[in-house]
Amino acid sequence: MKSKIKYQNNANNFNFSSNETWSSFIKSLKLFFSKKLNIFSFSLVIFLIFIAIFAPFLSPHQYDMVNPSNALAPPSLEHLMGTDTTGRDIFSRALHGTTTSLSLALTTIIFGLITGVSLGAIAGYFVGIVDEIIMRIVDVFMSIPGVILALAMVAILGPEPIYLILALSIRRIIQFARVTRGVVLSIKELDYISACHALGMSHLRIIFIHVLPNCIGPIIVLSTVLIGNVILMESTLSFLGLGIQEPTPSWGTMIAKGNEFLTFAPWVSVAPGIFLFTTMIAFNLFGDGIRDHLDPKDKVTT
Amino acid sequence: MFLKVFLRRLFTFLPTILGIATFAFILGHATPGDPAYAALGIDLEGYSGVDQEEVERVRKELGLDKPILIQYVHWIWNALQGDFGRSYVNDYVVMDAVIEALPNTLYLLGLTMLTAIIIGVSIGMISAVFQGTAGDLIARLISIIGVSTPVFWFALILILIFAYNLDWFPIGGVVEEFGPKALVLPVASIALHPAALIARMTRSSMLEVLSHDMIRTATSKGLFRSRIFFVHALRNAINPVITVIGFQTGNLVGGAVAIEVIFTIRGMGELLITAIHDKDILVMQCAILVIGVSFAVINLIVDMIYILIDPRIRL
Repeated sequence: MKSKIKYQNNANNFNFSSNETWSSFIKSLKLFFSKKLNIFSFSLVIFLIFIAIFAPFLSPHQYDMVNPSNALAPPSLEHLMGTDTTGRDIFSRALHGTTTSLSLALTTIIFGLITGVSLGAIAGYFVGIVDEIIMRIVDVFMSIPGVILALAMVAILGPEPIYLILALSIRRIIQFARVTRGVVLSIKELDYISACHALGMSHLRIIFIHVLPNCIGPIIVLSTVLIGNVILMESTLSFLGLGIQEPTPSWGTMIAKGNEFLTFAPWVSVAPGIFLFTTMIAFNLFGDGIRDHLDPKDKVTT
Repeated sequence: MFLKVFLRRLFTFLPTILGIATFAFILGHATPGDPAYAALGIDLEGYSGVDQEEVERVRKELGLDKPILIQYVHWIWNALQGDFGRSYVNDYVVMDAVIEALPNTLYLLGLTMLTAIIIGVSIGMISAVFQGTAGDLIARLISIIGVSTPVFWFALILILIFAYNLDWFPIGGVVEEFGPKALVLPVASIALHPAALIARMTRSSMLEVLSHDMIRTATSKGLFRSRIFFVHALRNAINPVITVIGFQTGNLVGGAVAIEVIFTIRGMGELLITAIHDKDILVMQCAILVIGVSFAVINLIVDMIYILIDPRIRL
């Protein structure tokens, strides 16, 4: 019963199969932006994406320009957030850090989404031994804390960006798989799916065209909620020296570098942290808004 | 009834443990580098001065010449007895290092969770009692800020303010060295995130419970408001809070790793990070297994508390 209500609820907001798709989508958007907090978080997200794309043009200095004679200079007009141990401009590096963080997070989410949704759909659709095996594996990975799991993966694979994405997405794959499986399980018992079977449609067609569109709501909610999570985890790994490696600018690495000079050069750690904090606020607020909008009853837990 | 549920939960618990062990085993074998070379203290695999006979001898000694399945069974069997071998890199018994580190982490996390629950539930209760649109916004903002603050950055800010500038607390987090004051900053840094979430969860579930008929009945019976809040409402509102606590333990462990490194606390996280940097495979395997198992046990306990508190729930 509960699942049916949820299904109708999502259908109200995301009804892609009806003729009024476009107008209902616009109506949904208007409702979303009727809240000031949502406008605020959305603008902040857009602003951050803007920074991420145009970082090379926005930064006053080259992010990797070394100037040892000006090392650990305090914030000034020339260097808005001071310089680090090798005299590089922290403000420029933090701007470029936005590019690193956001692109990594987005790739991770997309990769996790595609893999997780496929696995979850297969598990939910073909209940039985396949489902059992997939869900057991999911259980195992769920019982290892996210950061520890990512650390283990990086230890095996090395801290290359591509492996980092793989390490970060393992947990996302599982989360997407669980959510998708839940929706698919409740949808496939409905009458219209039996009708599809009666019409002789292939399993693939039923899954992708008739079952999966119902998952769009929860999946959008989960992806927006998870972006902040991924950014935080990436910066934690970088902070521990197992994420993005120098000289690529990354907030986590920059904060870690400042740890040693906290007494006499606190800006080295504090400045990139402000960027990280703002980004987290933006994506968490935005994710929260989306969740309240599309999924007001069932909270997708992260 | 409780026993039955417990046994059923245990039935899914054991395969999970085996799965974690398998993961730890695969981890050890997938990590680049030949353990035999590592045991001999040789970094480069193609190093010409290696005595091949010596390598073969060590390989045999470590059981690396046997088929992988036999190695697996052997490893699980040894792990069950708490034998994880000697570290190749630093010559100590792996299990000893873990036994030394685990209590530190558990102590830190336990204290953190306690702090987070006390602060979170209090803030949640207060904001639920004084409800209103402004209160709603403030509660939401507090929880968003709490969740959005990176633990390691927050810890550095706390050190900067309270250790360097005000000199109230020590920079390190080792109790034996600095006294109990040393734990204040580490606990405060990790507790921020769960406290914010618990506060928000408490608030929303309190508001829901307060609108129930039974609260009106209690009020009409002329009970004290404090009694209604703490006995009638909180008891019913606490379930979602416990769920959040269960979910949060995993995140806590993640935050604890960075905090242990910052405050040089010799815990599991610090052990794991050092092992990864040193490519100390045996310690890595053992640390992952122990962290995974502890985490699974904590979740099991949370589930059981859940049933004890609310008999309506059946897992």
